[in-house]
Amino acid sequence: MLAYLVRRTLLFIPTFFGITFIGFAIIHLAPGDPVDLFLSGGLASGTAGISTQKLGDMEKAKTELRRELGLDQPIPVQYARWLGRLVRADLGVSLKDRQPVWDKIRARMPVTIGINVAALLIVYAIALPLGIYSAIRPGSRLDRTLTVTSFMAYSLPSFWIGVLVIVFFCGGDYFAWFPPAGLRSLDYDTEWSIARRLGDISYHLALPMFVTTLGGYAELSRFMRSAMLENARQDFIRTARAKGVPERSVILKHMLRNSLIPMVTILAGVLPGLIGGSVIIERIFSIPGIGQLGYEAVLARDYPVILALFSAASLLTLVGILLADIALALVDPRISFARSNA
Amino acid sequence: MIRPYVCALASALVLLGCGGPRDDKKTEPAAGDSAAKTAEPAQDEGPPVRGDWVVLHSLADPENLNPLTSNDAGASAVLGWIFPPLIRVDPQTLELAPMLARELPEVSEDKLSYTYRLRDDVAFSDGKPMTAEDVLFTLKAIRHPRVNAAPQRNYYDSVKDAVALDPHTVRISLSQVYFLNDWVLGGTSPIPRHYYDPENLLDGIGVAELNAWDSLDPAKKERAERFAKAFNEGFNRKPLGPGAMVLENPKRDFVTGEKIELRHRDGYFAPGHPELGDPWVDRVVYRVINDFDAALASLKAGAIDFMGLRPVQYLKQTNDPRFEERIEKHVDLSSGYTYIGWNQKRAIFADPRVRQALSHLVDKRNVCDKVMLGLADPIESPIYPRRPEYNRDLKPWTFDPARAKALLAEAGWSDTDGDGILDKEIQGKVVPLRFEIVSNSGNDDRKNVGLVAIDEFKRAGIDATFRAVDWSILLDKVRSLDYEAVILGWTSSGTMPPDLFQIWHSSQAVPGGSNYVSFKNAEVDGLLESYRIEFDAAKRKVLYDRVQEILYAEQPYTWVFAPKALSARDRRFRGVKWYPTGGTDQNDWWVPLPLQKYKN
Repeated sequence: MLAYLVRRTLLFIPTFFGITFIGFAIIHLAPGDPVDLFLSGGLASGTAGISTQKLGDMEKAKTELRRELGLDQPIPVQYARWLGRLVRADLGVSLKDRQPVWDKIRARMPVTIGINVAALLIVYAIALPLGIYSAIRPGSRLDRTLTVTSFMAYSLPSFWIGVLVIVFFCGGDYFAWFPPAGLRSLDYDTEWSIARRLGDISYHLALPMFVTTLGGYAELSRFMRSAMLENARQDFIRTARAKGVPERSVILKHMLRNSLIPMVTILAGVLPGLIGGSVIIERIFSIPGIGQLGYEAVLARDYPVILALFSAASLLTLVGILLADIALALVDPRISFARSNA
Repeated sequence: MIRPYVCALASALVLLGCGGPRDDKKTEPAAGDSAAKTAEPAQDEGPPVRGDWVVLHSLADPENLNPLTSNDAGASAVLGWIFPPLIRVDPQTLELAPMLARELPEVSEDKLSYTYRLRDDVAFSDGKPMTAEDVLFTLKAIRHPRVNAAPQRNYYDSVKDAVALDPHTVRISLSQVYFLNDWVLGGTSPIPRHYYDPENLLDGIGVAELNAWDSLDPAKKERAERFAKAFNEGFNRKPLGPGAMVLENPKRDFVTGEKIELRHRDGYFAPGHPELGDPWVDRVVYRVINDFDAALASLKAGAIDFMGLRPVQYLKQTNDPRFEERIEKHVDLSSGYTYIGWNQKRAIFADPRVRQALSHLVDKRNVCDKVMLGLADPIESPIYPRRPEYNRDLKPWTFDPARAKALLAEAGWSDTDGDGILDKEIQGKVVPLRFEIVSNSGNDDRKNVGLVAIDEFKRAGIDATFRAVDWSILLDKVRSLDYEAVILGWTSSGTMPPDLFQIWHSSQAVPGGSNYVSFKNAEVDGLLESYRIEFDAAKRKVLYDRVQEILYAEQPYTWVFAPKALSARDRRFRGVKWYPTGGTDQNDWWVPLPLQKYKN
């Protein structure tokens, strides 16, 4: 087991380099240039432009800025420099506003992680029982209703349903139950009691959470249902029933435990998504999270920010896969990491 | 017109901020307890009272609030409250009027030396008085080649040197005569030297020395470099200026992606004078809402007080009587326009008759009615129609496919090979009339203009296609003149005289220049040059009337439309004025005591 872990972890290193180098190259090879975008004078902002006597100055300023930001170097050199900084845990500064990238990410991380963790818990808390129920009474009216409803929810695109709930529940044309945008009230005060602060934030996040989780129920409850049904056909279940184990115990102990294995794999797969955040939902509801940060960074070709988010996502994907394997071994004794001698 | 505004003059005049004229009635002093008893909720009269907040909509997060290095519209609106200019433009009369300067500058006979006398009662929000040293420092920072203010620096190109004659007088000497210097130099917004350069690094380094960077003494250069680094990086989230509004506590009041909250301060030099930049409200809050639908819902729910509307929102989503009761909509002319530019570097567009024909095939009226839902006006010239310089003799360019065909035939285009597409022999090769119109993705209005246009082009035997590309890619294409036709827009200031030099002078028709359609006309060149050194507005008008005539005849662009500026605001505000050149000034806005919504 330990040897396996070490091997897997060592494999991380070349994989991570490979991923980041490809990512680095793609981002830098994509058309568009942050310095150009920043210093294009009138053209970029759509206001009347820069005269050519001054163009020379402008070009000089651009060259300067490129040199200052290290963008004048060949891509491999830039990559090496970036990697060097990364090893020293330095993510660099944003090209847009010269703030440290880490500060920008840190400021937005709690929101995105908070939303995603909460969404995950909600989805699991609702989808697992639904899946179990469906599996116990497969083909029943309720099973069919749940299936249809969860698939309908799954097929609703979030950009559409997001706008819809804003129009229906926020503006007051129909109802004004929820705030349409933002994370906190305008008069939010850190002096407020914890309960009041949490209440305010939950009130603002209710709709975004609703939209975030909407698509998640179908997948998970279906997985749960089919895993349960598959186990129900197994011999050990028949044996358990035959030896007179109470039905409740058969389902919860024997079937459920064995059906949890795929759930664990799925859980590990969502790890990178936890910090990824949803661009669409964050934009529609004006939530200052990681998704928005990444989106704006891409538009502005803010390389350091893009790369930081990209590497974090790659790293978490790798870790997620590893965790899934380990977790699988823990819940399923049939899997062993020892090298087989056969 | 050059991106006309610099620093705060800029910011201030966009749509918000900056002094609106008030009819100089003696205003009640700030706290209006006495007014409270008499103030009638539904009346516009009565002396304005202080109090309440105004919550404005911001579509994106202004990330950089350094007054010199920030380069986006969102930030300049915020900065306008914090950094008033020396000289303002009265939005009603369009005359220049003193603001932080005591009077209009004294200009030398040769127009190369401007002397500004500053008010002696202006203090920055930390209480330190504003002096000539601060203005001098501001000019140094702008002219400093290592400060990331290249876009601003361009407007100060002709600043040769500046000196403080006494604690409240600055003399700026210039290398070039230019009539807009009155606006540009006057638009300078002083920033506090003691705050932005606490180590006094620029002390003893003059503007002239910074201009000659390469020959700057190494010791001084080293200090200047250190200053630039600190200035570029250290002040992006904590502006401090002489304005009436302050960002009191950046941590609390500038929350990324959520809001920027400016508070009214005591000690501004002109209390009760909104035209001098002292608003009636206690706070100005910019709420970041990235989505227009969510913003409208916020307006309806009372979470924001003012926002720009999109045409469909204006027409369809805001007609509820309950909405009208609480919120007032406004239609205004905007000072921007949308055009199709024909790249004359491409042989097919070199003949003016082809461009005229193409213009005859763009049904502007239809575009305004159908694409813009009636909320736009067709335009014929690059000048904002409400400016005095606009040539009122230009007739609307007609939609006339028959005339277009005739013009194309006259220019030698015919379908010789029977493939349904016009062609012509150019330099020994048969070329079909085929081109691609590009624009930036994400702008549906431009896309629809493109689609309407190519539809009509096809009917006339022109094989045109439309493609939307990412903004940065479009920028690349246009800057390198690597495109055939482009749909873009320009905006200009309605308050400042236009200067068409940068878009239409032949010297600007180089890669990276703003004349990227490569329009070249010797007469226009001459007129543009004379205009820039003409200090008499009436004579300038004559010059530009002729320029517009030529542009109209040549059709280097097909000018399509000027969109209307649509907005909606909460009705509790009084004193809202809309100025002839567009826009309102939130300095004027006030709320009667019984209607005040937010308390400090």
